[in-house]
Amino acid sequence: MAQSVKEIKVDENSPLFDKTGMLHKEFPSDFRQIRYFTLLIVQSAPPDIKDVNLLEQQISEIIKNAVKHGNKCDTAKKVRVWYDFSPEHAHLIVEDEGPGFQDLEKWNDFNRKRQAALEGNDFETLSEYVSFRGERADDNDGGNALFAALEYWDGGFVFNSKRNCVSTLKLFPKKRQGIKVSR
Amino acid sequence: MDLKIRKNGESYIIDVNGEMDLYNSYKLKELVMKMLEKKVERFIINLENVDYIDSSGIGALIYICSTIKKMGFKLVITNIHGSVKKVIELTKLMGYFPISPTIDEALKRMEA
Repeated sequence: MAQSVKEIKVDENSPLFDKTGMLHKEFPSDFRQIRYFTLLIVQSAPPDIKDVNLLEQQISEIIKNAVKHGNKCDTAKKVRVWYDFSPEHAHLIVEDEGPGFQDLEKWNDFNRKRQAALEGNDFETLSEYVSFRGERADDNDGGNALFAALEYWDGGFVFNSKRNCVSTLKLFPKKRQGIKVSR
Repeated sequence: MDLKIRKNGESYIIDVNGEMDLYNSYKLKELVMKMLEKKVERFIINLENVDYIDSSGIGALIYICSTIKKMGFKLVITNIHGSVKKVIELTKLMGYFPISPTIDEALKRMEA
């Protein structure tokens, strides 16, 4: 059976936008400090889920999108982040002051074609779908962050209706407590 | 990020040291483009000392890979590990990039 293709959703009423009990920080949209801001957030995560800095990398991508594509690196504009971590989950909400992710449908369509090329092991076609170029993308945009994000944030990846706020959830498998029983 | 070039036969090995992130990745792209201008045709990009990559780093590798492929030259990326491997796996590009586990195997692949 063909696996359904994951896509970026828009759902203002998603329970993922419930900020109850979440920690909060806000930053100016300073491109040079994206990784520093990310570290300030990730430092509150338990070591178990920081898995070879993948959590940091994935959070950094979402903050970068807000700083660069949302707020166009205008330091007068803020990026607001709500976050909550446990050994079983990472929940992040990132809001910018920009016009919202206008290319969302285009991106989902692009991703469907990309998935079709991947499933068919069609690397020639895939080469046309390795990077998504939004209208305002520049040469330093990889154009691939959201492909990885949709895979990583397996508990959900959803935008509000204005599309300037994204909420993401990553679920981590429960670790068994290693208790040795000797006979 | 620090880049060092060494030569082995006809192949040029680029040792990447540090983080391939949004602040640094363009340097690798620029270096490869300069080497192409100087008629280099065989590249090995060694990621043994890279423990962090983001979408800009992946984007740089995609750009380099597609440029070298279009020109009909050779590229192998080696020693992918840790989070670098995981990020490439998340983008599902392990099959797209020409990857060898070690430099020795990359050199053999160059001769094939």
